[in-house]
Amino acid sequence: MLSIVILTFFATLVLFLGFSKNRDLILPVSVIGVALAMLCYMTQQTLWDEWFMNMMDVKGASRIFSIVILAIACCILPFINEFRRRGSEEMADFSGLLIYSLIGGIMMVSYKDFMVLFLGIEILSIAMYILAGADRRRASSSEASLKYFILGAFASAILLFGIALYYACTSSFRLDAEILQNSLLLNLSYLLIFAGLAFKIALVPFHFWAPDVYQGTPTIFTATMATIVKVSGFGALYQFISSCGIHMSEWLYWLISLVALASIVVANIMALQQQSVKRMLAYSGIAQAGFILIGFLNLQAENTWPIIFYLIAYAAASLVCFLAVHFVEEISFNDNHSAFKGLYYNNPFLAIVMSIALISLGGGPLTAGFMAKLFVLNNAAHVGNIALVIFALIFAVLSLYYYFRLINQMFSYSKDIKTWRIEYPYAGILAALCIGTIIAGIAPNLLVNLIK
Amino acid sequence: MISILYLILLPLVFGLLISLLNKKWSSGIALAGAGSTLFFFIFFLSQFDSSKKIENEFSMPWIPGINVDLHFGLDSLGLFMILLSTLVVPVGILASIKYSNYRRKSYYVLMMTGLSALIGFFSAQNDLTFYVFFELALLPFYFMVLMYGGADRNRALFKFFIYTVFGSFLMLAAIIYLRSLATIGIPSDWSMLYDIELSLKSQTWILAGLFIAFAIKSPLFPFHTWQADLYSEGDRPAIIIIAAVLSKMGVFGLLRFFNVVEDAIHQYQTPLIVLCIIGILYAALIAWRQSSMTRLLAYSSLSHMGMIAAGIFTASLSGLQGSLFQMLSHGLVAAGLFMVVDSIMFRTNSSSIYGSSGIASSQPRLATYFFVLCLGAVGLPLTSGFIGEFDILLGLTGVKLIFALLAGLSIILGAIYTFRFYQKSMFGEANSTNSNWSPITLNEEYALIILSILVIALGFFPASWLDLADQAVSSFVQIKSKLQ
Repeated sequence: MLSIVILTFFATLVLFLGFSKNRDLILPVSVIGVALAMLCYMTQQTLWDEWFMNMMDVKGASRIFSIVILAIACCILPFINEFRRRGSEEMADFSGLLIYSLIGGIMMVSYKDFMVLFLGIEILSIAMYILAGADRRRASSSEASLKYFILGAFASAILLFGIALYYACTSSFRLDAEILQNSLLLNLSYLLIFAGLAFKIALVPFHFWAPDVYQGTPTIFTATMATIVKVSGFGALYQFISSCGIHMSEWLYWLISLVALASIVVANIMALQQQSVKRMLAYSGIAQAGFILIGFLNLQAENTWPIIFYLIAYAAASLVCFLAVHFVEEISFNDNHSAFKGLYYNNPFLAIVMSIALISLGGGPLTAGFMAKLFVLNNAAHVGNIALVIFALIFAVLSLYYYFRLINQMFSYSKDIKTWRIEYPYAGILAALCIGTIIAGIAPNLLVNLIK
Repeated sequence: MISILYLILLPLVFGLLISLLNKKWSSGIALAGAGSTLFFFIFFLSQFDSSKKIENEFSMPWIPGINVDLHFGLDSLGLFMILLSTLVVPVGILASIKYSNYRRKSYYVLMMTGLSALIGFFSAQNDLTFYVFFELALLPFYFMVLMYGGADRNRALFKFFIYTVFGSFLMLAAIIYLRSLATIGIPSDWSMLYDIELSLKSQTWILAGLFIAFAIKSPLFPFHTWQADLYSEGDRPAIIIIAAVLSKMGVFGLLRFFNVVEDAIHQYQTPLIVLCIIGILYAALIAWRQSSMTRLLAYSSLSHMGMIAAGIFTASLSGLQGSLFQMLSHGLVAAGLFMVVDSIMFRTNSSSIYGSSGIASSQPRLATYFFVLCLGAVGLPLTSGFIGEFDILLGLTGVKLIFALLAGLSIILGAIYTFRFYQKSMFGEANSTNSNWSPITLNEEYALIILSILVIALGFFPASWLDLADQAVSSFVQIKSKLQ
């Protein structure tokens, strides 16, 4: 609870800093705010935990989800400086909104009451609607923002409808409310809540917004959308299934298997022919979400770490990809496949980090992505769902096609060489994420012990 | 006891050195790295006590949840292939020196990474370590061909990549399935995996997955279609290593998993051997009519790999022993032949076997080394090729005489296509461009001399190596006889 207070304070402070002409302070202040909030979780600070009538729980898995969200934010915040380089004035607004969205994310992963979930989703989403339209000079950015807003509002309505039905059945918003009778209405409410969350995560069949919105949004905020929103969504789903899952055990198993399989199949097939790298990464993100969902098949307290491991591996790799795409876009003004041609000869560092990230997304050996896939598939094999394992593996092979198509582009020689450098702080963040990806692949124990 | 991990890390250290120092040193450092790895390995070899099962072990806890260790060690099976890798990678580097002006530092870094991944693969002591390094060894060579291959490389490389990755995912599925069947404890090394009791039905499924994975990698008929394209479009020094060592990874895998799927191999022995024999003859006939040197070598390689696989499926002592020996021998011969082709193509810029006609008179030394390697490829007595093929045919005779006769045909066909290749490319009328060739360089000559000497030496003195091969495979056949 203390961390939310800290984040609110710093976000507001950053907004006020925007009034001054000097913008050098914005980045340090926002990073310090996020780092302080992270520190609260790291030290397991319990101050003010009972606020809001125990509607939030900041222990156990939700603590780890929150740390992951805050750590991702620490990686993204420095890149907001890029807007300043382009002469944009709104840097303080963007930083502030990003920090506000973290509050929403934390509420989503640690709710014990559906009201908090709804508040969290709205706080996160409204910040994201604005950030999607951050680049006002491009019509596509506004279009993405509007699309995301309309569809997001629709999804929120579905979620609210589910929550209302839940209240009708249990006369309570709490997750641990007493279930008097397992009625059809209650199951319907679960299904609607699941659909609302699946929209935020972008799972098939609620994924249609993702490619369009990802493509139009300024790439730095696409990175936010692909990581922070997804991690928050999965955190919320985790809270939901871990407490309500027992009441829907019969069909939950099939629902999860089906949605996971559909996400993996549809997204991987759609990604094959994308010319825009951001769209491809959007579909890849949907497929990865399908894989993560497999981890929910066997959800017990000791089995949460594969999900979190996968989320961390996915977040690190897709952060690197999107941020690399950002730099390529800066030079060639589009994110088509052809823009990546010969990237290795223009900027070897960027090509190498992006290749490592893509290999990790594809589940290449000795990367975090491989371990993550192995953990969740092992989970599915344990439940006896061998068919799902085989389908997932086949489509994982298919996904390597489009990841390596991009790698092929980056390493094939191109005549127009524009050598350019990226600044050291940015390079440092990208390199750290890649090295972390490889270390987690060689010695996954380190990360797993941290999660546990 | 020095842990084998140092042998795996040594090339990586040199790779780091290459990336830090000036570009003009990189080929030299790479050669020094590969050479010192070879000498370090020979030191391991001199310490090797074949009575023990695994030596120079290294293991550390690796994957939590599944409780798998990262486990390496030296055993008599892996010994052969590590020797082959450490011998062939320096050859590849020697071949690449003439191109080194066009190569970036990363080329040699990849070469060193590849060597270390290969050593890791051949010394892997459990299935998941094996799997991870199976995939990992692919990546450096993928990038080498991607960055330095021929004009049409993208298509060829992609075919290769998709094939191999598809195969290795099948292998992963087979491994996950195998592990889910382990009832007593968690298997931590090969011998524990061999002890898992499997029904014939599950063995069949596992064999199907593994066979496709390894048949793609080797390649074996009918999963070979990537091979000729890749061999003719790839970066040739990398292709030397791919043809000599990476192609052995598949059949090596069959040997590694032999005991896991033994009953299934016995059950489906006839169809498997028939498939191999079709591949042997089909590839030999195609090789006969090739006019491109690289394609000819690709199909000859396919034919020989079919022979090696047939030897494994005989599940007899002499067949297995011959296959293991032939893996080493064919690796050396294939590396040598690709080296010769590379030397010729560097000078003529054409892959046609007619492109270099008549150079035997102006390049007698090249022609001599080439001839020795051809003899090894044909399997003439007193060359290394003879011993392995003889043992394999002996094993095939034990299964059915007709198999041995049909497979034996490939020796005649092999002689036809190999000597046709030799005759067309070396003799005949010299055209004006071929008479004023630059002589072969010392680097190329070193590599060719070493390989020729090894081909002859293994042919004259095979005994100690055959003993070692015997030790490596006899345990497989013994376990079987105990069951019966």
